[in-house]
Amino acid sequence: MIPRLRLPAAPVIFFISIFLAFCFDSKEQTNISLNDLSFFRNPGKSWSIVSDVTADLNKPEAMSGLPGAGILLNLPNKNGTDLYTNTEYGDLDVELDYMMAKSSNSGIYLQGRYELQLLDSWGIKNPTSGDNGGIYERWDESRPEGKKGYEGYAPRQNVSHAPGLWQHLKISFQAPRFDANGKKIQNAKMLRVELNGVSIHEGVEMQAPTRGAVSNEETAKGPIRLQGDHGSVAFKNIKLTSFDKPRPELTDLTYIVYKGRFDAAADISKIPPEAKGTLASLSAGSINNLPSEYFIKYTGTLKVSEAGDYTLNVGVPGGAGILKINRQPVSTSGRRGQGTFTSLPAGNLPFELLYTKNEDWTDRSVSLAISGPGVRQFILGDLNAGIDGQGTDPIYVTAPVNTILRSFMDIPIGIRVVHAVSVGSPEQVHYTYDMDHGALIQIWRGGFLDATPMWHDRGDGSSRPLGTVQRFGNPMLTIEKLASPETAWVTDTIGSAYIPKGYKLNKSDVPTFLYQVYGSLIEDAITVIENGQGIRRQLTVQNPSGTYYARLAGASSIEEASGGMYLVDGKSYYIRIDDAGGAKPLIRDNGSRKELIVPVQNKLTYSILF
Amino acid sequence: MNLFLTNAFRILATTILTIICAVAISKTARAQESAKEEDYFKIARVSAPEGVVLEVGGLTVLPNGDLAISTRRGDVYVAENPTAARPFFRKFASGLHEILGLAYKDGAFYCAQRGELTKLIHTDMDGKADVYETIFSWPISGHYHEYSFGPKIAPDGSFFVSGNVAFGDEEWWRGESRVPWRGWIMNITESGQMQPWATGVRSPCGLGIIDGELFYTDNQGDWVGTGGIWHVKKGAFFGHPAGLRWTGLPNSPLTLTTEQLYAKVGPRQDKNARGRYIKPENIVNEKFVTLSDVKNNIPALNLPAVRLPYAILGISTSEIVPIPLGNFGPFAGQSLVGDQGQSKIMRVFMEKVNGEYQGAAWDFRAGFQSGVLRMAWAKDGSLFVGETDRGWGSDGDASLGLQRLVWNNKTPFEMRAVRAMPDGFEIEFTKPVEKKSGEDISSYSVASFTYKYHPVYGSPPVNNATCNVKGVKLSADGMRARIIVDNLRKDYIHTIMLEGIRDRENSYSLVHPIAYYTLNNIPEGPKLAMSEVSTKKSVKPAAKTSVGPSTVIMTSATKAAVKAAPTYNEVQPMLLKNTCLACHNATKKQVGPSYTEISKRRYSVAKIISLIKNPQPQNWPDYATEMPPMPQVPKAEAEKIALWIRSLAKE
Repeated sequence: MIPRLRLPAAPVIFFISIFLAFCFDSKEQTNISLNDLSFFRNPGKSWSIVSDVTADLNKPEAMSGLPGAGILLNLPNKNGTDLYTNTEYGDLDVELDYMMAKSSNSGIYLQGRYELQLLDSWGIKNPTSGDNGGIYERWDESRPEGKKGYEGYAPRQNVSHAPGLWQHLKISFQAPRFDANGKKIQNAKMLRVELNGVSIHEGVEMQAPTRGAVSNEETAKGPIRLQGDHGSVAFKNIKLTSFDKPRPELTDLTYIVYKGRFDAAADISKIPPEAKGTLASLSAGSINNLPSEYFIKYTGTLKVSEAGDYTLNVGVPGGAGILKINRQPVSTSGRRGQGTFTSLPAGNLPFELLYTKNEDWTDRSVSLAISGPGVRQFILGDLNAGIDGQGTDPIYVTAPVNTILRSFMDIPIGIRVVHAVSVGSPEQVHYTYDMDHGALIQIWRGGFLDATPMWHDRGDGSSRPLGTVQRFGNPMLTIEKLASPETAWVTDTIGSAYIPKGYKLNKSDVPTFLYQVYGSLIEDAITVIENGQGIRRQLTVQNPSGTYYARLAGASSIEEASGGMYLVDGKSYYIRIDDAGGAKPLIRDNGSRKELIVPVQNKLTYSILF
Repeated sequence: MNLFLTNAFRILATTILTIICAVAISKTARAQESAKEEDYFKIARVSAPEGVVLEVGGLTVLPNGDLAISTRRGDVYVAENPTAARPFFRKFASGLHEILGLAYKDGAFYCAQRGELTKLIHTDMDGKADVYETIFSWPISGHYHEYSFGPKIAPDGSFFVSGNVAFGDEEWWRGESRVPWRGWIMNITESGQMQPWATGVRSPCGLGIIDGELFYTDNQGDWVGTGGIWHVKKGAFFGHPAGLRWTGLPNSPLTLTTEQLYAKVGPRQDKNARGRYIKPENIVNEKFVTLSDVKNNIPALNLPAVRLPYAILGISTSEIVPIPLGNFGPFAGQSLVGDQGQSKIMRVFMEKVNGEYQGAAWDFRAGFQSGVLRMAWAKDGSLFVGETDRGWGSDGDASLGLQRLVWNNKTPFEMRAVRAMPDGFEIEFTKPVEKKSGEDISSYSVASFTYKYHPVYGSPPVNNATCNVKGVKLSADGMRARIIVDNLRKDYIHTIMLEGIRDRENSYSLVHPIAYYTLNNIPEGPKLAMSEVSTKKSVKPAAKTSVGPSTVIMTSATKAAVKAAPTYNEVQPMLLKNTCLACHNATKKQVGPSYTEISKRRYSVAKIISLIKNPQPQNWPDYATEMPPMPQVPKAEAEKIALWIRSLAKE
């Protein structure tokens, strides 16, 4: 076998990344100021602005805020009302963080009509359209009992976090379209919904408003409505991107074809053209008798109604392109072309695209992706662009029983964990263990692993978690010997005599990891908590030779709560000390960050809930 | 045409065209065709249930006859009654990291994952592993090419494992050792003590213990001119420089440094005007060195015991296994070597001369359904063959497989062994040779060549020469022929061609009439006197006519440079002789792209010729295996091949 490194197949990857990118356009984004409620129309009394919120993991509806600004809190206490924005929106991206109280219920209605459900769905294995992230069902009172609700869309998987933790939501919504007579010609669509980093809906068309809409009449625009009559909920970091401006139009398009191989900057003035013509839309594939290697010069008019910063991507597989608008080169693209950010004035702008194709085996196709102020990315050009690269079927590894898979595991801080063991459970909570440090590196909820990167073709040895992932930073030893509680945690294994010993499985195939550190054998038993609420970890130390500490977390923030609970990393997850043998945990500073450490005699049990 | 090409052409032409001629002659001269591989060794299937993905990475047969299989997807299966029509598959372990080796010792399995040697134990009687014990965890950077192989169990019960090099980021063609002991063979004890054992390995996919000694195989690539088999002694260096980076560490068994090696063979890490590294390409007219040239200065450099000429005896050498006594008839005691890319098995006979191993290699059995990676002996004497080609490419229609090679107890007419003699070679046969052909020196021809030792991927065969066969002494029983050969060259591969030999029983020609003998040492001892040998030569100096047809082809090819595209039948002999067909098929994806696929690029004739000499594998990102430079393909033939390829393109 002679497996060899190859240069990346650039063009295909490039196209996919452009065309399927989830595009939140920062330029037209509104960050809602939560210093007061002025963004909203006649806010009810249940709504307030606070600086911090805390929910009780165990007590229904219990949530409280601290005075200050930055967070929108709703405490309905049976008198809640819905909250509407002053502004009405059509096509819209919404991005926000929210927190549910235990057993609480809320929702986000796009245009006041199409509800994405918010619910405490912690621990639910088979989510419905009524669960957190569901597109709520429609309702028809005239239908028979039990069939009144219909056409809801369950999230693809339940990736909800526990009550009292911040959850992250991104929605790309497309408003219904109407003709000049006001007749609907296109349904409203959830283009994409991403919850806690996982796509839970893509391209879901909604025939009509969902249950509890402000009206069953559909309109081009409507306010955002936050449901406030059902339960305690908080929101923050609300970002809205409205796409309500007309798209630039390409008109008066003509082309000239030259046959042969050229540089995109070639002087073609003295070369006889092969063909000329006009086009209704940008295309190479629809030009008849196009040779396999060519240079095409397109000219036309780009009608821009809104001045501002636009992003333009030229897609030309197997060649190069130069785009000139207003006679100025604004974007060049070839194998590794990147989108170009450019400022365009309003008006009818001269458009010129010089496109050469020098690889005769690639498709005849050209495309131009445009996004801009109030304009969601759209694509002009041939539809076949980039379709070649989509042929790989993914290889998913499921965990219908306790399932282990070793692979390389990349963590986003630029580290490839090479002795990683991922452990999946039917409770749909999974984790990755680093056998180089006896450390947990991530825990996630949802699907288990995508092994395509490892098992497709020769592979690169890595797999990826499929659900919502909580990561624990740079892997470090979990157990170290500290001279005093102030001694810094050593970030490598030098001096610890760390030796991995593998793992043993119990009758249910749940592993206990084994390693030696300072000559002591450590047993690290990790089990998934019932209903997938998190994991419980029990560290057992044999023959300790000094004062050992366990490092339970290193994070931007660690807040102590009642009952041995800690809220970690801006309320991203909980740590609960179940049994420290009487030892006292310590939150300490580590530069600008915090660490939670606890002395370990023989045994330590703690849980991670999220 | 320059001198080099002429020489290169001559050797290849002699090697292969003579076969073609011989086959042609034998076909016409005799009504009955000589027997072939498949008339003696049958490929049988091993039935496995759907859903069991047998991308075989390791095979071992347990003392009770069960077959254990480790897979690239990280499972270990135990197949009960593996030679029965319906074996039972039990999943013994799962979730391991691309296991490319499996061994069994004292009731436990041992396997090399990418990053560690693991012991798999079942303690609770349910037939499934419940302890996955790390015996030794080695550093690894996480590069895709850092595969690990083994273990093989040494006579003292310790384990040998080996590790591939990674490749550079910018210098993606250059094998590098990013962390200690990549590009090394390691020895590990049961208690987890690791001793770095030897380095200079590049892609050491095949480890084997033969008579208590460790051998390993490697593939051609950067610094490795062709695949081969090396005897592994502690502290040895095998040629790829990557692992030398760690010889300064305290437990290194050798002290040779990268600098000391580079002083003898430059790494050619040159940059272009833009400061980017230039991939080293083969230089046709250059002063080069061979492994043995460098060995003269660097004694730690160990030469391969047996070299396997690239594209003839495989393109990606895999496992080496000894043939136990009682198995495969006359070949017991010899070794079999798999090839992943060509989905076949070669046979190797080794002997010790002046204390060093050397020997001969032959083709043995081709036609497996996918790349041959692993072999293990069934209790009934048949051979399990574990196969995979995912991401690597191979001959055969399947991407994976578990098959079985079964001998039908009939003896094929083969060279059983070739032994070096002070004045030539002694060839031992499996069946008596018919006297007339055996005593005719025109039945024998010998040529020799070697490979460059350089940082380029692979090497063309170089320093080609023919060796005159002066006489032959055939034993009275017809089982041995000793030939006197001129111009024996130490350290060269000697191609020994016996197309004219016939067996006494059926007048068959040899199933595999060519042996490749790696002559690391020429033994001392008595030489034959000319009075003892037959010098009968049925084909007079016109023996040159065996080169004749090639001349004809050349001439016609030259003339064919007129634009008419040749047919496949016209170019097929050239594709065969130049070993193109080892990797390319006219219409199907094989190790490399099909010619039809290549034709779609619409390269000019000149471009195709230049790509044959210096391929640009980066143009073919979907193919795992790089094409080595083939400057030895005569220009006239390259041109004809190019015209034919172009003719495949549909307008």
